[in-house]
Amino acid sequence: MLSWSGTEQGIEIDLANVQTATGGVSVSFAQQLVDFATAATEFDLTVLAKSRDQLISVAGVAITIDAAAVIANFEMMTRLADSTGARMQTEVVADRLVVAQAMGVDKVVSRR
Amino acid sequence: MRISLSDVRQDLVLAHEQAWSALSEPGTWWSGAQRRELAQTALLAVTEGEPLPPWVAVSTIEGRIPASTVAPGVAHDAVYRIARHAATLTREWYERVTQEIDSLAFVELCGIVCTVATVVAFRRALDLEIPELVATKSGQPSHHKPDNIVDATLNWVPVVAPADENAAVVQAFTAVPQTNRVIWAMADAQYIPDKEMIDPHWTRGTLTRVQMELVATRVSQQRECFY
Repeated sequence: MLSWSGTEQGIEIDLANVQTATGGVSVSFAQQLVDFATAATEFDLTVLAKSRDQLISVAGVAITIDAAAVIANFEMMTRLADSTGARMQTEVVADRLVVAQAMGVDKVVSRR
Repeated sequence: MRISLSDVRQDLVLAHEQAWSALSEPGTWWSGAQRRELAQTALLAVTEGEPLPPWVAVSTIEGRIPASTVAPGVAHDAVYRIARHAATLTREWYERVTQEIDSLAFVELCGIVCTVATVVAFRRALDLEIPELVATKSGQPSHHKPDNIVDATLNWVPVVAPADENAAVVQAFTAVPQTNRVIWAMADAQYIPDKEMIDPHWTRGTLTRVQMELVATRVSQQRECFY
């Protein structure tokens, strides 16, 4: 979805940058958004507070709240997918393998 | 700067409030008391700093959950594992669990975990207080079972027919409509309304679609979710 939405808007996305948490290319506040998403999925509240403050300072409260909502949604969807054994059609997996490799998730247990 | 609940969109607040209240109400296959108790275990799993490893069942560790529970220990074990170690789940694990818990009750149980995980994640990300679970509402589970439930190729769990025509995540909870409604109401408010999903330019006026997908991708990668 990231690659698709970026392509549709003429934005080049480097997925390796997402994997290494160094942001994306040509996306406003990419670094702060990735830092916030990373901190929100880990347990260091000091780092989380710092990343939240940084995002608020560059993007404002409304964007920070909606970023938290997207984080929350994917904390839900990842559990939904993994607990119900959701998987993609074989041909879709093949199409997306390059993306999965770039993201470093091509060998995870949840690949079914 | 501190964010308060009054800064949050009302549609999102409402979706979370309704889902949170439903955790203590009778469901389709679990009573209100059972649902609330399982939600408490999910809360423990997503908030404790030093979690049990995936191979340890929470019901076997004294003091983690109440000594006497209204939901079976295997349900608590499944809830804890999904809530904290979802990326480790396998089909063999699912089949072991559903030898002891009906597969539709399992679907509802997954919905309980998803609700707890999403509300806690949102509150925690914004340093908002995690709400207490509301008091249990009495009553029996409805046992409402759609009459067109079938096995799916793209999910372990059974789904409403026709199977495998929609994305696996979309069909995953369809066999328990009450759970399905609650989860997708939250998804609409948190992410993108279903009818807007195909529009790469859709925005609420805050995050662009690409920014949303950047955040979504990072969370999924952090959770090692291949899907």
